[in-house]
Amino acid sequence: MAIFIQGIVVLALAPLVTGLVRWFKARLQGRHGAAPWLVYFALLTTLKKENVISESRSWVFRCVPFVVLGIALFLSLALPLVFPSGGIPQVDLFVLAGVLALSSVFLVLGGLDAATAFGGMGASREMTIAALIEPTVLITFAAFASVAGSSSLQDVFGNGITAISHPALLLSFAALVFVVLAENARYPVDNPATHLELTMVHEAMVLEYSGPYLAMLEYASSIKLTVFLLILGNLVGAGIFATVIIGSFALALFESTIAKMRFFRMQEYMSIAFFLALAGLILIFII
Amino acid sequence: MLASFKVLLAPQTVLRFGLASSEFFPVFQLDSYGAIFFLLISLVSVLSALYAVPYLASYQGIYHLQSLNALVATFVLGMQLVIVSQSPMAFMLGWETMSLASFFLVVSDRSHESVKAALLYLVMTHLGAGALFIGFLLLAQGSLFADFEQLASLAASAPLWILSVCFGLFFFGFGSKAGLVPFHVWLPEAHPAAPSHISALMSGIMLKVALYGFLRVLLFILPPIGATASLFILGFGLLSALYGVLYAVVERDFKRTLAFSSIENIGLIFIMVGVAFFAQSQGLEGLYQTALIAAVFFAIAHAIFKSGLFLASGLIVRAVHSRNLEKMGGLARQMPLFSFLFFVLCLAAASLPPFAPFFGEWIFFQSMLQNFSSQNLPVNIILISTFAVTALVGGLAIFAMVKLFAISMLAEPRSEAAREIHEKPRAGELFSVAVLAILALGVGLFAPAVLSLIGANVLVSSPAEITVGSATIQPSFIFWLLLGCLFVVWILRRIFSRAAHERIYHGWDCGQPIDASMEYTATAFSAPIRFFFRLILKTKKTLVAQPVVATNPWIATHTVTVDLRSIWMDYGYVPLGRFIIGMAEQVKKIQSGNIRFYLLLMFLTLILTIWVAL
Repeated sequence: MAIFIQGIVVLALAPLVTGLVRWFKARLQGRHGAAPWLVYFALLTTLKKENVISESRSWVFRCVPFVVLGIALFLSLALPLVFPSGGIPQVDLFVLAGVLALSSVFLVLGGLDAATAFGGMGASREMTIAALIEPTVLITFAAFASVAGSSSLQDVFGNGITAISHPALLLSFAALVFVVLAENARYPVDNPATHLELTMVHEAMVLEYSGPYLAMLEYASSIKLTVFLLILGNLVGAGIFATVIIGSFALALFESTIAKMRFFRMQEYMSIAFFLALAGLILIFII
Repeated sequence: MLASFKVLLAPQTVLRFGLASSEFFPVFQLDSYGAIFFLLISLVSVLSALYAVPYLASYQGIYHLQSLNALVATFVLGMQLVIVSQSPMAFMLGWETMSLASFFLVVSDRSHESVKAALLYLVMTHLGAGALFIGFLLLAQGSLFADFEQLASLAASAPLWILSVCFGLFFFGFGSKAGLVPFHVWLPEAHPAAPSHISALMSGIMLKVALYGFLRVLLFILPPIGATASLFILGFGLLSALYGVLYAVVERDFKRTLAFSSIENIGLIFIMVGVAFFAQSQGLEGLYQTALIAAVFFAIAHAIFKSGLFLASGLIVRAVHSRNLEKMGGLARQMPLFSFLFFVLCLAAASLPPFAPFFGEWIFFQSMLQNFSSQNLPVNIILISTFAVTALVGGLAIFAMVKLFAISMLAEPRSEAAREIHEKPRAGELFSVAVLAILALGVGLFAPAVLSLIGANVLVSSPAEITVGSATIQPSFIFWLLLGCLFVVWILRRIFSRAAHERIYHGWDCGQPIDASMEYTATAFSAPIRFFFRLILKTKKTLVAQPVVATNPWIATHTVTVDLRSIWMDYGYVPLGRFIIGMAEQVKKIQSGNIRFYLLLMFLTLILTIWVAL
């Protein structure tokens, strides 16, 4: 039962999170901004539009939106986000990492299958980011698992382990923030609001998708962002609504204050994240 | 021909179940540890034989089929001999049969490159075989006919320096056969040069035979190796995995990518073995068992998916008449079923859930994680660094496999040959690839059962205490939940939008027609990794400007070539070869042709011999 309630809550909240981030960002930048719930209408409108399919595509192109959204659904069902202490099946942190990588792989394939230079560019960048963030993901998860004594997320959240109650986890928490920014195509890794070929990563991959497929991909990335914000929220012990509001505000503030990094400096970002995570893991055993 | 060796194989596959650990001859005996590998060899050989019948029909003009088939049978026989033999002599006999047969198989298309690759292979494999032979003789104290059990009792009482030398020799011998960096140079040359079903045998199972031998020596013959030796294995494993995967990412030749990926996977297996023995030396019994089981499990998974990938590579190469990834593309539309099977194998090779290799890595990660502790900081740091590097390798492996699939199968064809392919995969070929793809998934779904089977068979000492953590891994649950989510999404899409409301149109082209030359290529796709890891990946870029008009140097056509260099060849093997040839030149000076000088030399040798002897 808990699994369905959680699924519905996350699925219903996801567009609101994206909308809130955009609204806060507009306000912080001195614009009026669209209402946070516009995203719901935008998704519904896109869903009704005609689906234009590229001539040079194979069966992979059609699989991508289903798999990506399916995995987002999997994340919203299988992770203990809303009910940290029970009712959700035990899913291992390594499975979470693997499933996230699977979702990136499908997005990349969709980007390449359309046979345009934009798709290839986005795909190559996304694959690089996904491949290089993978060790950070695993090491950060290992740090949380070491503290909880179990590699299941259920035990991490269920035992009330937060970055506040275990200060040794602060570095790992910081590394996890790096991971969240990279996985969700946010600043400074990617600019979610651009369609300029030099800077876009995620948008370049989904450029050839339209209509219902685009709606599915957009919805999937909203869900993913929400899931990650909830994971971060659980790790500082915040409730679900506080997480959504404070999390989107913090993200908007962050994105309004820093610039996007040049892609060929991404190895610096990845190295910082990697060594931060490594230091976080070692720190647990020193103190 | 091939059918004969299929028949030869079939009863033996059954023997593994019926008469496991019965005796064929006094020297040949199949124990339960060997049976795992024997089953693997038989399985892959049968599948590649089924594949070869239609596959070789396309190549009648290139290969001499009768001798090729005889050699394949000899090759498989050699590998099986290695597995069933219980004495060093029989072992070396099988080992040499396997090496020589595969040498001839590599040259089977008689091209210049193949001969070059095969000669390199021959040199490396014989250096390795020599090392093994010396190792066995040293252990046996010169006795030629000791069997493994006698060797083990001799090794138990041997002095430390002999054991260390033997370990070094065995490590070099088996490591060079398995393709560990830096003894790997032959592998990316020899594996691609052979016909594809042979590549599948070489990469899928010959490397496993080397692993089998290494583990046989470590588990059953040598006494427990210490921390230093295990760190040695671990270090070489890490080096191989990282180096192999980086080259797999940037390589543009289809089969060479697979060969480098094999180096990476062998590196991973050796990491697991290294961690296992390191844990043993530190008294971490649980980690020792789990890591060892993970290594064998990963080896099985690797045999399955890598054979499948090499078999698939044969069909792709035949379709586009090139091994160059830049000439492929768009194949998924022309062979949808085949591309799906290939996709499954690629996902398996990328160690993604829910395929078999993922579970091998998973239990390995999990057991390392459980053994991080604050008591012993050096041990902890070693485990954590291993964990970090292995995770990095895992991430890059996904990159390599995505590149392999996407560039060859998706988008528009990048050459005329890929546009109109004539030879589509035939039923027999598809069957073999399909069986391997299903196995890659099936072994994953039944991972707990397979893991405890391995545990019971490899660790004869204490099979009861296997704590694989199979209670916490639930492969089928993950698989069905994923499938269920997909199904729900599919239903919802049907409900909320009209599926027929769609139009086929060309891609976004910025106002002018797009063609295949604007697509991303394999080189471009892997460019970020080449840039980020440019300290390790040596490339040689040459820019040639050819003036179009002789009088004006500014109007020119430019050609850029990016060549991958191998640091081991450039700074290791080539200088070493030059040094040996130089030494030989120096030695040649005493060959003056003057008979009195030769007499003097003989006299001096005689005096020296007498002096040494007395």
